[in-house]
Amino acid sequence: MDWWLEVSVPVENEAAEAVADVLSRYAYRGVVIEAGPEGWNAGPVVVKAYLPADDQLRANKRRIEEALWHLGQIRPVSAPTFRSVAEADWAKAWKERLNVLHVGRHIVIRPSWRDYTPTPGDIVIRLDPGMAFGTGLHPTTQMCLVALEEMIYPGAEVLDMGTGSGILAIAAAKLGAGQVLAVDNDPIAVGTARGNVMINGVQETVSVVRGSLAEVSGSYDLVVVNILSKVIVEMMGEGLATRVRPDGVLIAAGILADQGAEVVTAMERRGLALVEQRQRGDWVCLVAKQGYFSG
Amino acid sequence: MKKIKAVVKLQIEAGKANPAPPVGPALAQHGINLMQFCKEYNARTAGQIGNIIPAEITIYHDKTFKFVLKTPPTPDLLRKAAGVERGSAEPNREKVGSITRAQLEEIAKLKMKDLNAISLEGAIRQIEGTARSMGIEIVD
Repeated sequence: MDWWLEVSVPVENEAAEAVADVLSRYAYRGVVIEAGPEGWNAGPVVVKAYLPADDQLRANKRRIEEALWHLGQIRPVSAPTFRSVAEADWAKAWKERLNVLHVGRHIVIRPSWRDYTPTPGDIVIRLDPGMAFGTGLHPTTQMCLVALEEMIYPGAEVLDMGTGSGILAIAAAKLGAGQVLAVDNDPIAVGTARGNVMINGVQETVSVVRGSLAEVSGSYDLVVVNILSKVIVEMMGEGLATRVRPDGVLIAAGILADQGAEVVTAMERRGLALVEQRQRGDWVCLVAKQGYFSG
Repeated sequence: MKKIKAVVKLQIEAGKANPAPPVGPALAQHGINLMQFCKEYNARTAGQIGNIIPAEITIYHDKTFKFVLKTPPTPDLLRKAAGVERGSAEPNREKVGSITRAQLEEIAKLKMKDLNAISLEGAIRQIEGTARSMGIEIVD
């Protein structure tokens, strides 16, 4: 999707929810209500929503205009205004914030639009995160990168569940992994990850597939899962632990500190033993081992 | 104290924030770190997947932000109480369902802290207005 139609409706605060409800019927994934710096009680707010530029666009635009007209018979509602917004425009705004980043001892994350002259020993990962997770900026990603750097050994077989931009899978390959399977259930992420694998020249080592844990067979020396605590707990129930070889390691992240205990319980129930818990800000990264105890 | 640039409320599904619309364009124009918001929102709402959980984001001039989670949107609560899938497309003509005054009061109590209403009566009036705008009637 290259562009979207933005719908804006200025409205009194009290009518905002009714207008938001109308827009949310046709909008992509929800609506936005914007107030100025004075907050909600300082005059009108603007309700905004985005329509994908597909074959339903014209019909959805008309339905919104009609529904707002009807709503306007009950309470004052301004006519909507429309403008097209290009995906590149908002992606650019946050791309400008991404700079070359050093993580751990040797890893350097280089956004594909930035220049960088490597120094000896640098392990440079070129990255175009697109619309996927994994820019290297977030503490969870950084903790995973550091853990990978410490734990990967030459030839190790690695599974990266929820690969996003592919950052961890590519790092694993560049740190010496023999084979890396990168999995994501989001088609946008899979496309982005494949692109990043190519620009890093690690396509011989890293395979990116769309799917879930059910599509993964075999077991791995190192499994990394940087998603969310709830998803990780669910994956434990679906057999994530059996994908970790005896003596293998699981690195789990994307977990808020107060959610860590729940994930540890789920791991221990499946025979994994927590060997280390790292924390940065509100986030924790758990390192667990398979086959530590027999019972 | 840091200077506030804007206050933005996103009404999106719990656990599913990503850089696509509406999150991307709504936040990128203010220059804040999109991914940081998405990751934190998803982590904090992961237990409520399937519900719309609004996030009210305060954005400062230095491009930092903070956010708090809010109660579900009034129309969602009204639809659930009335047992209807969507509001009326022509609320001035066509009614799609009804709720009791007791249900109305229950929703008003739940929404009270987010509505900036000074009294329960004020909150009830606002919710009634939203119900009317959706073609949902209040019955005694």
